[in-house]
Amino acid sequence: MGETADRVLGGCRIALLVVTAVIQAGLSLPVVTGTASRYAFAVLGAVLVVAAFWVLRGRPVPWPAAVTGGAVVLAASAVATWSVPPGELFGDRHWVFGLAGWHLLILLLDRPGAAVVALGAQLALTVVRLVTAAPTDRAEIGGVVIVGLSVITFQIATLALVRVVNRRAGEAAEASAERDRLLHRKALAEQQEADQRNRFAGQLGATLPLLAGLADRTLDPRDEVVRRRCAFAATQLRRLFAENDDVPDPLVHEVSACVDLAERRGLTVTLAVSGEAVPVPTAVRRALTTPLMTALVAARSQARVSVLRTGDEIRVAAITDGEPETRPNGSGAVDVEWHALGERSWMEAKWRTEPR
Amino acid sequence: MAYGTALTAVVVDDHPAVRAGVVHWLSSGTPPVTVVAEGEDVRAAWIGDGAQADVVILDLHLNSTTPAMGDLRRLTEAGRRVVVYSMRADDETVLQCLELGALSYLTKAEGAEHLLEAVRAAAADRPYTPPSLAGALAGDRSERRPALSARETEVLIEWFQSESKDFVAHRLGISPNTVNSHLERIRVKYAQIGREAPTKAALVARAIQDGLIGVSDL
Repeated sequence: MGETADRVLGGCRIALLVVTAVIQAGLSLPVVTGTASRYAFAVLGAVLVVAAFWVLRGRPVPWPAAVTGGAVVLAASAVATWSVPPGELFGDRHWVFGLAGWHLLILLLDRPGAAVVALGAQLALTVVRLVTAAPTDRAEIGGVVIVGLSVITFQIATLALVRVVNRRAGEAAEASAERDRLLHRKALAEQQEADQRNRFAGQLGATLPLLAGLADRTLDPRDEVVRRRCAFAATQLRRLFAENDDVPDPLVHEVSACVDLAERRGLTVTLAVSGEAVPVPTAVRRALTTPLMTALVAARSQARVSVLRTGDEIRVAAITDGEPETRPNGSGAVDVEWHALGERSWMEAKWRTEPR
Repeated sequence: MAYGTALTAVVVDDHPAVRAGVVHWLSSGTPPVTVVAEGEDVRAAWIGDGAQADVVILDLHLNSTTPAMGDLRRLTEAGRRVVVYSMRADDETVLQCLELGALSYLTKAEGAEHLLEAVRAAAADRPYTPPSLAGALAGDRSERRPALSARETEVLIEWFQSESKDFVAHRLGISPNTVNSHLERIRVKYAQIGREAPTKAALVARAIQDGLIGVSDL
């Protein structure tokens, strides 16, 4: 169960320890007589001290220590019971009977089954002493057994109560954690939706004015510049769709999407990929492919696109036979270089996978 | 050489159309390369005229899904100069072919020009590094890869990206010949690692003769 339940159970254990110590010192001490009884009393006190080592820190007594302690308590109880005159069993001078049960409870509070068995053994022990010690009449045996049972029942009831409280605390903690989880999931989902909206809105930024311009005829589709803008917007959308696909190699998938659109425009594009796929964050993939789109839109008839992944960097490059009007710079961790040689222009977007 | 001074080659490929195309490319080059034998499996390179050919052009996927690495190894161990010409371009296969002693690895996307250069280079025990192979070498992350200088890595990357030695030369401010010698030196470094093969030893010996590396570099 949860932390809350553990805390509640730890509190119960400490309360039990304090109550038992008070009973032992206040009620039992004055009636202890005889050497054997005194030893038994001291042993029970020692068990309390040892148990306090864990109980006061809110932890259960470990299983081996609890079993050993339980055996010691039962032995001490036997010694003290046997030193009480048979006629006074369950009486005022039989101090150990009311007391030892509490010790057993402290030790075995976390193992209700074992606790009930130990308490039963404690009662059985006294009954055996009663039956074997002196011939008594049935009415007397009946009377003392009732006294004994009432004591044991009280202790078992305490045990049951603690367990119930503990379970309720656990359930309460569980419910509260579940509510927290739900709230967290809800917040996360809202955030994701907002992100998605922002992303699409951001990516559609270039598309919407273009569509508006075409619709109200302020832009002429026969104009070369307008056609390039359309090609760019189309590539952008295509890459955006590719971004949401679940594929083993998202970068090459998105680069292929850009190449695909360029081929539809009638370009001859060769795509070369080298190196193994490595994870690349979405934002970096976008920064790597944006200059590629610019380069491909500017190409007139041919392009060579390459993706190279070495141990510590990723390079997306394009060589085309066209000159872009603008040469977008890199953003964030991605460096972009442009270079022209005669008719051809070269673009390379580079990202270091491990920052130096 | 079996046919006077003309270069001879044997073409091993399971597709007749590919064999026909390669034969045409080689015979129409200047100077032409004579194809003395062709066949759909590697026997063509071991028996008849094919056994004497200067260069073996080998397709890695001969009627099977697994690459014919064993055939390649037996050829290079016999000292045959092999140019691998394959559909597949995964880096691991490419590097493995170099390790076994192939003098060049071309993908079928690379055309006549690269094939002719690779065959001519191979006949003289020289390596040829087409762009796809340069990409594989640049992306090589294996532990045994040889140490390349910064300039050599740049040459590999630029050549892979541009497919144009003039462009690489212009970008790096060196002559196209220097680009070639960088590429050859890289291949000599690769020839010196891994298992030994007569073709790799011949490649290194040729590099020493050409003055690309000194004996002290070994």
